[in-house]
Amino acid sequence: MTTTPARPSDRPAGVPEPSVDVGGYVDLDRGLIDRTIFRDDVLYRQELRRVFAPSWLFLAHESQFAKPGDFFTTYMGEDPVIVTMGRDRKLRAFLNACRHRGMRVCRADAGATKAFTCSYHGWAYDTSGKLINVPNGEDYPAHFEQEKWGLVEVAQLDTYKGLVFATWNPEAPPLREALGGLGWYLDAMLDRDPEGTEVVGGVHKWVLEGNWKLAAEQFASDWYHVNISHASALMVMSPTGKGPKTEIVQTPGRQYADPLGHGHGFPTHPKSRFDDRVVHGWYDYEALRERLGDARVEGPMTTGHGTVFPNFSYLPVNGSIRVWHPRGLDRMEVWAWTLVDRSMPDEVKDAQRIYNLRTFGPSGIFEQDDGENWSEVQATAHGFMAGSMTLNYQMGLGLEGEDGVHPGTTGHLYSDGAARGFYTRWRDLMNTPAWHEKAAGQVTEKDTP
Amino acid sequence: MSIHPPEPTAPSAVSDDEMRLHFEVQRLYAVEARLLDQHRYADWLELFAEDLHYWAPVRTNRLRRQQALADGSPGEVAIFDETKASLAWRIRRFDSGMAWAEDPPSRTRHLISNVLVREGEAPGEYVAESAFLCYRNRLEREVDLYAGGRTDLLRRTGDGGLLIARRTILLDQNVLLAKNLSTFL
Repeated sequence: MTTTPARPSDRPAGVPEPSVDVGGYVDLDRGLIDRTIFRDDVLYRQELRRVFAPSWLFLAHESQFAKPGDFFTTYMGEDPVIVTMGRDRKLRAFLNACRHRGMRVCRADAGATKAFTCSYHGWAYDTSGKLINVPNGEDYPAHFEQEKWGLVEVAQLDTYKGLVFATWNPEAPPLREALGGLGWYLDAMLDRDPEGTEVVGGVHKWVLEGNWKLAAEQFASDWYHVNISHASALMVMSPTGKGPKTEIVQTPGRQYADPLGHGHGFPTHPKSRFDDRVVHGWYDYEALRERLGDARVEGPMTTGHGTVFPNFSYLPVNGSIRVWHPRGLDRMEVWAWTLVDRSMPDEVKDAQRIYNLRTFGPSGIFEQDDGENWSEVQATAHGFMAGSMTLNYQMGLGLEGEDGVHPGTTGHLYSDGAARGFYTRWRDLMNTPAWHEKAAGQVTEKDTP
Repeated sequence: MSIHPPEPTAPSAVSDDEMRLHFEVQRLYAVEARLLDQHRYADWLELFAEDLHYWAPVRTNRLRRQQALADGSPGEVAIFDETKASLAWRIRRFDSGMAWAEDPPSRTRHLISNVLVREGEAPGEYVAESAFLCYRNRLEREVDLYAGGRTDLLRRTGDGGLLIARRTILLDQNVLLAKNLSTFL
């Protein structure tokens, strides 16, 4: 007899819940999506298993960890995690759950510590996840294997130009591969400065009634809403204060749709500029052109938007990077950091910080209206008729291709192209048994529709 | 200005001047709350001095021994970090006729209490602490509650009135429990 089960005690044993074939809900060749995917609880549970558990998820920025013992707590899907720098200066991420009764062993948002001690019974773990103290240990049987009861660690953790990602999936391809062709676009935000990026202290966090996909999808592909949803913001930001200029409403641009579900949309403009005057004044656009190439400076570095599938999004010009944490079917929590270039003088960093909070903080003149839209969409999604509607994702259908300037498949700025890519990836993951299901030996090749 | 001013000392007797000042500040806050609840933001802005700093840092959960870091510092992410000009910018948006987050407008009720006033460092300046509870009811059933404390630096004006020159808002929430913050506190 052993107290440690035969299967690894820190991995799922398989899922008694049913899995649904979602192929019938999304017809991406015709640009049609059944609204059921935003309001069905069985599908939501399946997303946690098959979309979040197998994917690389954003955790934090490297600059949040300066010395051993520094930690930051966040979530992967609905799972609480601790990200911490070990004594070897290596970053690790663990499920924030005591192996004894499952309580969070760290209830602070951030800080520095030598150990994570559960305040329920006192099991304590060091910053490498090892179980280092079990009070009243003499009362456990002789075959209690303390070394097997460390914190549950992610299967893989890696960074991409300062951004820390991790996955529970031991079979996931390496992070760079998982980012696919998005790297070229993402670098318009992450690689402007040879010194790299850092985040300003603190994280904006707010919660709203809306399925997480509403926001993730919008940041992948939706420039369309800008002129209407954000009309008031465009008006106060325009030089005349009287309304957005025609050039803004009719702006040309492109939208990149990655086969792995990522997306990045951007206006194209020969005179790329940062919206904040101080930040704009600081940048050496010639140097940026040399570093990133004209196509990137005049494209993805402009006022664009992007999503790394499934739930990390960014706004290069505003310096906002954010995660849409799922909080149940009908709710998401937005966690947003402010990203700046390391070489920026303090006053430029501060200008970027303030510009971001006034535009895309929870009180920001853009963000206010986004929150209204998502919560309004979700509020009526549970009606029988309203919740079963087919939604139109046909904008730009058939107009995608290689444009010879921007790598990969791009379409017009005003397009649902990256949303169709997002839901293609979503469908494929939802219909594929995840690594933990295969390990449990409980799945056949195809699920019952 | 420090986020946490020193404890006001309880006077053995209340002077007429102190009562007058306390009443004046209470009335200022009641007027302010009414202007906000009536969405008269341009009028509300006139209660503030030209060199205004209007600041609402974020609040983080920290271990007790690291409590000093629990309230955001200047230069960190904040909910508001405003000047009078940037507040005017935010207010102009509401007047655009296209600020959908407040169209139809929310119903709000700002309740201000626990007022404590003391002399500031400069002549004619006072430090006023207050507690706020802002109830927002929106569309059919949406309800948000914003609760917290404010510390204001008030300045006596030439005509004998008071202007708010600094405001620090400590919202008693970690995750902001609302889809947005489309009013002022």
